[in-house]
Amino acid sequence: MANSPPFDLRKPVDFAIIGSGSAGGILAKELSTAGFEVVVFEQGPYRKTSDFGHDELSTVFRHELNGDIGAQTFRHNENETAVAQPQPPAEYAQTVGGSSAHFTANFWRFREVDFRERSLLGPISGTNFSDWPISYEELEPYYTKVDWEIGVSGAPGPNDAPRSKPFPMPPMPVKSSGVLLERGANKLGLTAQPEPHAILTQPYNGRPACIKCGYCMWFGCEVGAKSSTLAAMIPLAEASGNCEIRAESAVFRIETDKRGRASEVLYYDAAGNEKAQKTRAVIVCANGAETPRLLLMSASERQPDGLANSSGFVGRNLMLNAHVAVNAVFEEPLNDYKGVQVTRIVHDFYECDESRGFYGGGGIDARPLWSTTPILHSMLGMPPDVPTWGAAWKNEIAHNFTRQMSIVGSTTSLAQDSNNITLDPVATDHWGRPGLRMTYMDHDDDIAMGRFLEQRAMELAEAAGSVKFWPFENLPTTGGPHLLGTCRMGEDPATSVVDRDHRSHDIPNLFICDGSSFVTSGRGQPTMTIMALAFRAADKIKAAAAAGTI
Amino acid sequence: MSGASIAAIAQSACTARDRPVSFLSLSPADAADIEAIAARIIPTTDTPGASEAGVVHFFDRAFAKEMKERLNEVLEGLAGLNAAIDDNGRFAGLSPDAQDARLREIETSDFFGLVREMTIFGFFAMSEYGGNKDHVGWELVGFQGHNGGWEYPFGYYDAEAEGGGNDGE
Repeated sequence: MANSPPFDLRKPVDFAIIGSGSAGGILAKELSTAGFEVVVFEQGPYRKTSDFGHDELSTVFRHELNGDIGAQTFRHNENETAVAQPQPPAEYAQTVGGSSAHFTANFWRFREVDFRERSLLGPISGTNFSDWPISYEELEPYYTKVDWEIGVSGAPGPNDAPRSKPFPMPPMPVKSSGVLLERGANKLGLTAQPEPHAILTQPYNGRPACIKCGYCMWFGCEVGAKSSTLAAMIPLAEASGNCEIRAESAVFRIETDKRGRASEVLYYDAAGNEKAQKTRAVIVCANGAETPRLLLMSASERQPDGLANSSGFVGRNLMLNAHVAVNAVFEEPLNDYKGVQVTRIVHDFYECDESRGFYGGGGIDARPLWSTTPILHSMLGMPPDVPTWGAAWKNEIAHNFTRQMSIVGSTTSLAQDSNNITLDPVATDHWGRPGLRMTYMDHDDDIAMGRFLEQRAMELAEAAGSVKFWPFENLPTTGGPHLLGTCRMGEDPATSVVDRDHRSHDIPNLFICDGSSFVTSGRGQPTMTIMALAFRAADKIKAAAAAGTI
Repeated sequence: MSGASIAAIAQSACTARDRPVSFLSLSPADAADIEAIAARIIPTTDTPGASEAGVVHFFDRAFAKEMKERLNEVLEGLAGLNAAIDDNGRFAGLSPDAQDARLREIETSDFFGLVREMTIFGFFAMSEYGGNKDHVGWELVGFQGHNGGWEYPFGYYDAEAEGGGNDGE
């Protein structure tokens, strides 16, 4: 290679990848190790594994990893004025590795049904419910690649989709929450199965096994046992000598040339100065909220509605997966704050059952959730019949912290035009870019599915022997970490943004790969599928480059 | 540096925190009111409460640093709280029962919400933030702190299951 990092801004690199998370980190590794010059833009800082700790206040309540949350606004429908929220509506991490650095690492594959449910069930009026242009069978080799390349622990469940290779390592040992969920499931005739994790249970590829510290959800892993792209992919990309991770670089525009091809990435560097990197191709992997925001910010005379948006589908069809939780207290201590969140899941309600009277499916798990850390427990984990301060409240906190868990349900979300990401007309971030406006209201069927799972969770809590349990009100959805569907893939350029190989229908050298590519939402754990799509997209992009068609 | 000298420095730091010459951001009277409110939110019972955790030092430090811009809001809240007290008295001088009664009147206010939230933070956040002295907050709830990692079994039910030969594999 003639050039090596750091790359010259004026000499076009082969690929500018925007975002270093689940998709961007994998594409960076795949393309750089194949010999392409790659610059990865990450708006957050380059935190290393050793920079992560256990500070609940800064991480959970001061959103240290979430960046500039004041620039995000939320509303339920277009008649409302969107306003900033105490919790970021689009809950993603601004750090190298993106949200794969701070996610809980629950790691389900999708099943065959997730890709072709529209054909099986027929249309649902008022929605953009569609099949994917690819099948489970087509993606399966890439799910397996994720298992073996980033390191996934688990054991197959009775209803899982077929896999071509076993898990590379065994699942996490069961915690008290898992034992109790299994106890309840057995009594009700349901099946509890081990939870797969993007977390190592054995040393793997030079990385250590999980030390069971309990700081997975929202925290970065301090030993690199969590299979983030920061731990598993980016070191390989950098070692190739072809990849530059350009952190603290906030992209505000993708420029196109006279031929309508992507030619340049404009960004603010760490000092806030405008910079421009010339490139032969762009891959946007900024997540299902930031990807459409950037494309909308890149509007030009040639592309007045935003880049790659001739369909009008950029930003539309946002799917967040609705979540419900039932908090449950038991007689003896669980100490569930130790170790990973989830060790057992119930997938008996995964498939849609039309006899329920609504569309949807979901998964159930048991985890400490609001009893993961003491502040969360005090703020969100208390039952509604207890005062909110004083001696009685104090006693409840003290008694329940080690004895409490939550049974959590996560659901499908239907794709709708009215759920979307747009540019906020007023709010701006500290770089001066237009704010990220989320408009979202769960479909009635999503809510119905959530309530259905809440009822099942109540039954499971009782069957598990809980001495006190109550639902935690979490509907309608007001944001979340699963940012899906906003630049969907499809065969028809009129109703999708990218083709089956993640290439923009409008711009031949612009690719988009992240949660925005999803056509349906799955049942609540999307990251495995984002990573599998990224490995597949890398193969397709390498083939296109070899054929000279980019 | 020897373990003993580290302990001595740590001890003197704690002593300094116990008897601050002056607060970083709060006047002694405002600090006394905040300490009194926090002590009604998490009272001292047969177990330690907000006072023993030094929660007021969390407030003081936060208003000097990350939460500087919220100080006025809290001072105004305190002024409002005290305005309703007879004879120029202050909240800190009321009996615990009278304090509870006064707080019940304002418990839905933004001011009380903020003070309650900060009391929880000060009781449970890492001691570096000024409160949770000697980890009394963590000890109260049975959180064993940050020891790096943990070993199985974690709790009663996984130990019981392990005894029954089900190790989750």
